[in-house]
Amino acid sequence: MAASNSENDSKNEIPSSSEAEQPQFQAIRMPTMEEIRAQEVWNNCAVRSVVSGVMGGGLGFFMGMFLGALDNPIMQDEMTGRQQFVYNVKQMGRRSLSSAKAFAVMGLVFSAVECVVEKARAKHDTTNTVVAGCVTGGTMSARGGPKAACAGCAGFAAFSVLIEKFFDRHT
Amino acid sequence: MAANNTPAGIDKEQAFGMAEAEMEYRVELFNRLTQTCFNKCVDKRYKEPELNMGENTCIDRCVSKYWQVNGIIGQMLSAGGRPPM
Repeated sequence: MAASNSENDSKNEIPSSSEAEQPQFQAIRMPTMEEIRAQEVWNNCAVRSVVSGVMGGGLGFFMGMFLGALDNPIMQDEMTGRQQFVYNVKQMGRRSLSSAKAFAVMGLVFSAVECVVEKARAKHDTTNTVVAGCVTGGTMSARGGPKAACAGCAGFAAFSVLIEKFFDRHT
Repeated sequence: MAANNTPAGIDKEQAFGMAEAEMEYRVELFNRLTQTCFNKCVDKRYKEPELNMGENTCIDRCVSKYWQVNGIIGQMLSAGGRPPM
């Protein structure tokens, strides 16, 4: 509050020729009830994780479709063009569905764990991302035994930290 | 100003002074509350203009605790003259 006042005072001392170039400062306005409610809805862990899961599912769907289109059938010489096309479409559909499921689970678990951890700690850190990535990687590779779970945990945690740093690199 | 049509025992000036003191107290409380919880909860390297979830939670807890402590101490001060030490 005091800082912004002194900033505005110093702005008045700058000669008027550069006033037009300075960005216009807007007065502080309190958030409206709609904004507060919208923020409360978005801060809910269930809402956040479901939205993340849906987005992950969409991403996985398109990625699976793309990768399934690149798949070539095994018996390529014996099939006619139409048969190849039908096979390709089925392959794309199958891969996109399985990929969508995997990515949806990944997004849901990651977002839920990160939200819960951040609410518990009341801090915005990279530690939240690390813990969430570890749990997600661990659950996804839990079928391979404890060693695979540890490897998946470490790998996915490192990956999510990298992605987060990448998205915040300009700040 | 003459105390002509005011309730018995309370001067107009006195009531005004009390209201002014109360207002000052409230303003001071609010300013100190926001200052304390801001310094405690918000990271000074501003990365985004809105409060993220961790900061929101921290501010909720900070304000709740501050208010509670303020109420307790106010009660203790108003109840007994001597501190129980």
